[in-house]
Parts: sequence; C-alpha cells; structure tokens
Amino acid sequence: MEAIPIVGTSLWFIAKVFVLVAIAIYFVFAVVIIKQVNLMINTISIGFEIPIKMIAWAHLLFAIGIFVLAIIIL
Amino acid sequence: MPDIFVARKDKEKKGQKKARIEVSAKPSKELSVKDILDSKDKPPYIYHSQGQSYNPLSSFCYFPENVKFVAKDSDERIVLFLRKHPITNLKWILIVALFLFAPTVLKAFPILDFLPDRFQFIAVAMWYMLTLAVALESFLDWFFSVCLITDERIFDVDFINLVYREINEADIDQIQDVTVRMSGVIRTIFNYGDVFIQTAGEVPRIEFTDVPNPDKVAKILRELGVEEEQEKLEGRVR
Repeated sequence: MEAIPIVGTSLWFIAKVFVLVAIAIYFVFAVVIIKQVNLMINTISIGFEIPIKMIAWAHLLFAIGIFVLAIIIL
Repeated sequence: MPDIFVARKDKEKKGQKKARIEVSAKPSKELSVKDILDSKDKPPYIYHSQGQSYNPLSSFCYFPENVKFVAKDSDERIVLFLRKHPITNLKWILIVALFLFAPTVLKAFPILDFLPDRFQFIAVAMWYMLTLAVALESFLDWFFSVCLITDERIFDVDFINLVYREINEADIDQIQDVTVRMSGVIRTIFNYGDVFIQTAGEVPRIEFTDVPNPDKVAKILRELGVEEEQEKLEGRVR
C-alpha cells in the first residue's frame, strides 16, 4: 500500500472512504424510494401494495448489506 | 313475517344471481357506460368482455373494483383505469438486461485489474446496485403513472421521478375536445397511443400517453360527456 506522508494514511483507505460515501448516498436514495412508495400508495391504491412495499424494503436492505460488506472487506 | 314471504325473497335473489351469471357468460354483449352506471350494479362486476381485469399490473381496466384514489368522492365511480402499455417497458428491461450481463462480459477485458480483489468485488456489487436502481425507478414510474376516468372527473397522475410527481384533474363537463394519436408500427401492432384531452379547466390539456385502446378511451370519454350533459338537462348534477 502506498502511504501518503502528510495524511499518514494509505491511498486505499481514502478509496474506501469514497466508496462508503457513494454507498451512503445510495442508501439515502433507497430511503427516498420507500418514502415515495408509501406516499403513492396513500394517494392511489391498486391492490399491489404489499409486494411493492416488500420490493422497496428489500432494496433498502440490499443497500445496507452492501454498505456493511464494504466496511468489512475493504 | 310469515315464512312464505321470506322464501319468495330468496327465490327472487336466486333469480337475480342467475341473470347476472347469464350476462357474464355473453362476452359479445357490449354495455355502454351509461347502461353500467344506470344499472347500480354492486361488486363483483361482470364486464370482463369489455376489458375489466383484476390484475393490478393491468394497463387497461374497465370499472376496476380494487382501485382506490384519495381524491375520489364516496359516490364517484371509477369507469376506467389506465397506465402505459406494458410493451413500453421493453426499453428499460433491455437496458437492465445489458447492465446485468455487463460484468460477465467485461471479465474478458482487464479493466478493473489495477484494483485489489476486494475493491473489484465491491465495484461489481455497486454496479448491480445501480442496475437495481434503474430497474426499480423505471418500474415505479410505470406502475404509479396512471390515468383515471371516473363518472365525474379525469385524473392524470404522473410519477416523473422520485422527488417529483404531478396530479392533473379536470371535470368531465369541462372536456372540449378529445384527440387520439396513434403513430408508428409498434403502436399500431400493439394498439396503443396517446389521448389528448382539451379542457376548459385550469389545466388546458391533459395527456394520457401510450395507453392501450386509445379509440375505446376516446369513446368512453364521449359517452361520459353525453351522460354529463343529460344529467345537466335533467337536473341530476352532483
């Protein structure tokens, strides 16, 4: 690993921080999807609410999973 | 009450039930919107031959039973529920399929080889995350962008992106002109197109884009317009 003398840390650590920030932004996007799905379901109910909510929550869990995985393996 | 009267009522009910089944067994019988609205029929409705569907992913549903809309009045009936034709999803489905296969194809090329293995793994995971985002947003856009025609009003719900949605509404009696546009080979084959509704309301033009059976939609709007005029003349306006 290449060390940056001024910061006293490695280049890959900085890369890890950038990756984590990107996944955190994605996490916010997943939360917005859940919020918007709930809002739309309250506006119009078509009879497919539970699967749609489950998809939105599964998407959020996937984002959390990737975030945790990135913390562990990077 | 003597039993004889109860028995007669039961007999009448059975007779009504039989009549309903007979109507549903005749798929060729086309009931007009006026006939259905005047019939005061209670669910389950029996208009499958005219496009009624219980499928929540359906794009064209005549007198849907399971659709509830927040702005709908209690005595208002939804005549038509529309969303874009399913074939319009093909574009994003193909893009998502390409995205899904991209990491496998790109394995042949050493693009990410300068990264350590753990970074390569996370890069691929992030790629799939992005693919999922594209798929989910495109699906939600299709699923929640709907058009509703009730016996009193029309609604156009547009889910433009995750943080922007638009709901346009106009009264049936404000409709001035209905234009149907169906151009192109794909649209002609799959029978879908745009319906433009010119109104005298606050929103001058409401667009139902890529909806199935646009001619039928225009016909239903015309029938509802006539019905509304008749209600006005007879003083039955809500």
